[in-house]
Amino acid sequence: MRILGVVKGQLGAAAVLALFLLGAGAGGVSGQEGLGKTTYDKWCSGCHGVDGDGRGVAAEYMLPRPRDFTLALYQIRTTASGELPTDADIRRIIDVGMPTTTMPGWEDLLSEAERDALVDYLKTFSRFFGQGDEPQAIDFGRATKVSDAVLTEGREQYQVMECFKCHGEFGRGDGTSATTLEDAGSFPIRAADLTENWKFNGGGSVEDIFRRLRTGLDGTPMPSYQDVVDAGVITEEQLWSVAHYVRSLAPEDAPGIDEVIRAELIQDAALPTTADDPAWDEVSVSYIPLVGQIIVSPRWFDPRVDGLWVQAMHDGQELAMRIRWSDPSQSPDPDWAEWKARIIDLMAPKEGDPPEAGPTPDRLVVQFPKEVPTGLERPYFLMGDQRNPVYQWRWRSDQPGAVEAEARGLGTATPLPSAEQAVTASATFADGQWTLMLRRPITTESVSDLDFTTGEAIPVAFFAWDGDNGESGTRAAISSWYFVFLEEPTPATVFIAPLAAFAITGGLGLLVVGRARKREQEGIVTEDETPDEA
Amino acid sequence: MGKHLRHPLGQSVTVLVAAYLLIKFGIVYLPPLIGIASAPLPSSVVLQYMITVIVGLLLWVSDNEERWAKFKQPMHRVMVDPEQKVARAVLLLATPLLVAFVTFDRVRPSVAAPVSFRSIHPAPPGQIDFQGRTLRLTGLENPLRSRGSEDEHLEEGKRIYYQNCVACHGDGLAGLGHYSQGFNPVPLSFQDVGTIAQLTESVVFWRIAKGGPGLPNEGGPWNSAMPAWEDFLSEDDIWAVIMFLYEQAGHSPRTWGEEPGEEGGH
Repeated sequence: MRILGVVKGQLGAAAVLALFLLGAGAGGVSGQEGLGKTTYDKWCSGCHGVDGDGRGVAAEYMLPRPRDFTLALYQIRTTASGELPTDADIRRIIDVGMPTTTMPGWEDLLSEAERDALVDYLKTFSRFFGQGDEPQAIDFGRATKVSDAVLTEGREQYQVMECFKCHGEFGRGDGTSATTLEDAGSFPIRAADLTENWKFNGGGSVEDIFRRLRTGLDGTPMPSYQDVVDAGVITEEQLWSVAHYVRSLAPEDAPGIDEVIRAELIQDAALPTTADDPAWDEVSVSYIPLVGQIIVSPRWFDPRVDGLWVQAMHDGQELAMRIRWSDPSQSPDPDWAEWKARIIDLMAPKEGDPPEAGPTPDRLVVQFPKEVPTGLERPYFLMGDQRNPVYQWRWRSDQPGAVEAEARGLGTATPLPSAEQAVTASATFADGQWTLMLRRPITTESVSDLDFTTGEAIPVAFFAWDGDNGESGTRAAISSWYFVFLEEPTPATVFIAPLAAFAITGGLGLLVVGRARKREQEGIVTEDETPDEA
Repeated sequence: MGKHLRHPLGQSVTVLVAAYLLIKFGIVYLPPLIGIASAPLPSSVVLQYMITVIVGLLLWVSDNEERWAKFKQPMHRVMVDPEQKVARAVLLLATPLLVAFVTFDRVRPSVAAPVSFRSIHPAPPGQIDFQGRTLRLTGLENPLRSRGSEDEHLEEGKRIYYQNCVACHGDGLAGLGHYSQGFNPVPLSFQDVGTIAQLTESVVFWRIAKGGPGLPNEGGPWNSAMPAWEDFLSEDDIWAVIMFLYEQAGHSPRTWGEEPGEEGGH
């Protein structure tokens, strides 16, 4: 069914393209002058091109490429697969954007009138709008209630409908077909990571997910499942359970960005020795967003790792840190070799030096200053500089363990002498996710590394590479400085002040009430004597 | 309910609660009504406002003898009335517990990032070394404004902006590019009247050419993700993108001019 859907989508795209080319001679885009055109030319043409063909000057720095409006293929619709979107559909994307792409939301930047005018103007790029009936939004009905039974049913249908083939067993975009996916413009496209619903194009609620299942994402390999429902293979209710199941793969709420990672103090148990130790489920998790390294040449505009889930613990002797992230493959994976070659072809050539030849592993770097800063000054976040180096824990998927190193700028890391290596690593890869634990004594004999201190915020930064996405060297995903805070045992003095406050307030209360009651007993006599004053 | 609202104590409590809700959660919505940006009040200001409200209420209840007596009466009753024994015990215990808890919350160790001070517009140097040449910034004008075709410069500036700057500063020029959330400090918004509108083009040239690493220490060069664009762009490229920034954001650069309008010659 899925394959059929893909073929159907591509035939549709080809037909649309052919029709457009036939019609292009006759004046092409009709120039509707006015607010729509001026707004479009000023704010949209840089990416989508003045002719609406998705070939603006920025296009080749972006993947997915900007939408080609001449094809009239819109992913996010409330209309049936293969149909045009409603005006409200187009307007919604202008308002809120497409979070997994470079398309921002314009709600706060353009006026209502400008955004309405844009909807009308976008439609002039294609001959299909304005012919025949207005596109009609589907009545999607109301969401079913979620329950364990519904989620189990949803999981079953997820298998039956073969969602796993692209999105992977647990939704991290790591399915076996994910390596070959293309959009209508023949550009490689990722299967969505279903554990990040806050980034879904078209919204992350159960209702949004159901709409995408029902209408498909035209121009992408994601088919509509309406025909499966119509054919009686599954019911509408079962499609709702799939939506509920997909929603359940992501956290309840979108993660906020915590500036401080709390390393909890473990006093009555041993620190975990592996990345999978269940003790990790007990400590808090911070989300660290990563973005492409576009500061130093060669730059990288297509990072695969877009965020890390970081935890930390210490027992006064050692610090353990666990980092988890979505990555569809354990690089180098031969199944992804062709994907890698295509991404490099598209994204690398305009950026100078060719990427590392041969198989490239996944990599992760945790970075600290060499000393806990005393003032505000700290090393440059992008791996330090000549004057002020950084200290790093470097891990790669094709070698056991991890290496401590010093860096003075991106691409300059030199390992510390082997006698001073003290960091240990434990890593597992499963279902499109790396889980890595790094552990090191809090203080060491070495003079080249950082001696951690408790009770203060210590700068920390992260770097990640997905080898199978063509990433190595400066082609990386990076973070800015965050902080790790090693908790201290709560000092006894912390309890003295509240106790004193309790005693003083309580004492004062008793005193006031006591005096009032005493006065009352005496006062009954007084009041009787002077009733007028009461 | 109505009975309580006619009683001065009930009225005072109602005003107090309403004032707290208004100050804590309501005020933040007022400035946007007249188009100004807004932020929640800091708790010290909330405390100050609440003290003012309490003093006002006390003035009001004590202003009139009868009201004052009525106001005190329920509190007095709780303290002395034998029938209010339970309420009295609860109050005597709950109040100190609340105070103790608030104290604990204040003194316990907190996990917070260090406060970072950063000058957003550090003073520019008098001259910079640009790609091996010395450029005097003082008095420096954008040479493209008096050379060639303005439309061509803007076209070129737009290309450079979209191929290099959009990821962070955004296609809306509001500092909201798709990478903006990954950096701290977040990229500047050129729409903001406090950024390029306050600067001469030569200062903007310096910031673009030298980027984060070229900031003086008070600007926090170790945190800024702004690249040093002299490694990527030529002098004319930078001047062109500066022209585009002002044009697209609808701002005019600050001028050096003894004579205002000196720079508006085209």
